[in-house]
Amino acid sequence: MQAKVGDEIPQWVMESVSAQRMCTMAAILRDPNPLHWDRDKVDSALGIGKRTINQGPLGLSYMINMLHLWAGENCIRKIFMNFPMPLVLDGDRVVAKGEVTSVKDEDQGQLLECHIWLEGDLGTLLDGTATVFVSA
Amino acid sequence: MISEESIKALVGHEFPGGKYTIAHWENFLLTECTGSELMQNNVVHPVALFHVPILGCNTTISELFELGDAHSEASIMIESYDWEMFKPLKEDIPYTANGKITAAERRHNEDGSFYERIQFHFDLADPQGEPTATSTITWYYTKSA
Repeated sequence: MQAKVGDEIPQWVMESVSAQRMCTMAAILRDPNPLHWDRDKVDSALGIGKRTINQGPLGLSYMINMLHLWAGENCIRKIFMNFPMPLVLDGDRVVAKGEVTSVKDEDQGQLLECHIWLEGDLGTLLDGTATVFVSA
Repeated sequence: MISEESIKALVGHEFPGGKYTIAHWENFLLTECTGSELMQNNVVHPVALFHVPILGCNTTISELFELGDAHSEASIMIESYDWEMFKPLKEDIPYTANGKITAAERRHNEDGSFYERIQFHFDLADPQGEPTATSTITWYYTKSA
């Protein structure tokens, strides 16, 4: 792959964020927050209905998946992610997107700076940058 | 209610540190949660950089909540995650983890309410002592009146 500034990264789609996966994730993380696994608790605490809230790292993982499919496994050197509107709920459809913002040629390939973000119906949910290495 | 001075005093707090080994089953389930396929050569999905440094430091998400005096399950907001990867994480490797609090302050909103902003930094190293990854987590602990 030979990348250039402005290249769009092929998007990665999560058609329906899964409540069951949030439960599994909570167990792996040892995360006691019931907002990730108890729909009744979400409704009583936030009044947004009986839908659990996706863990922040899972939202980030969709962008990692996008980068891996585009530039190959182990391509990521650095990720910085802000969470301007991190309310991803079970059943939501979200799309990971990105574009190349700078390119540095190196001996073995290219070091790319990318703007990456996660979009939902409400707009940009997560927004950040990734440094990605692609072999020549 | 925790005092502002107590929040500021968290800077420099070090976690016990320790080791963490990611088993195949854990990587399998973790990767499935992301909606992806397992990576090749026993490489762990990078999303593990959230919990592996925390648990490897012999702390927990619960303790991180308590350090900032979280008032409820809904009071934690994420400012940012900053992950740097020097080598791929792999299954069945006992990584050494160290971590500490690098920033802690009380911030005030225009309406008079306030929140605590706390930043945690973690380092992971492989059994040879080579740096593998870093993770910096910055959270807001919102406080009700």
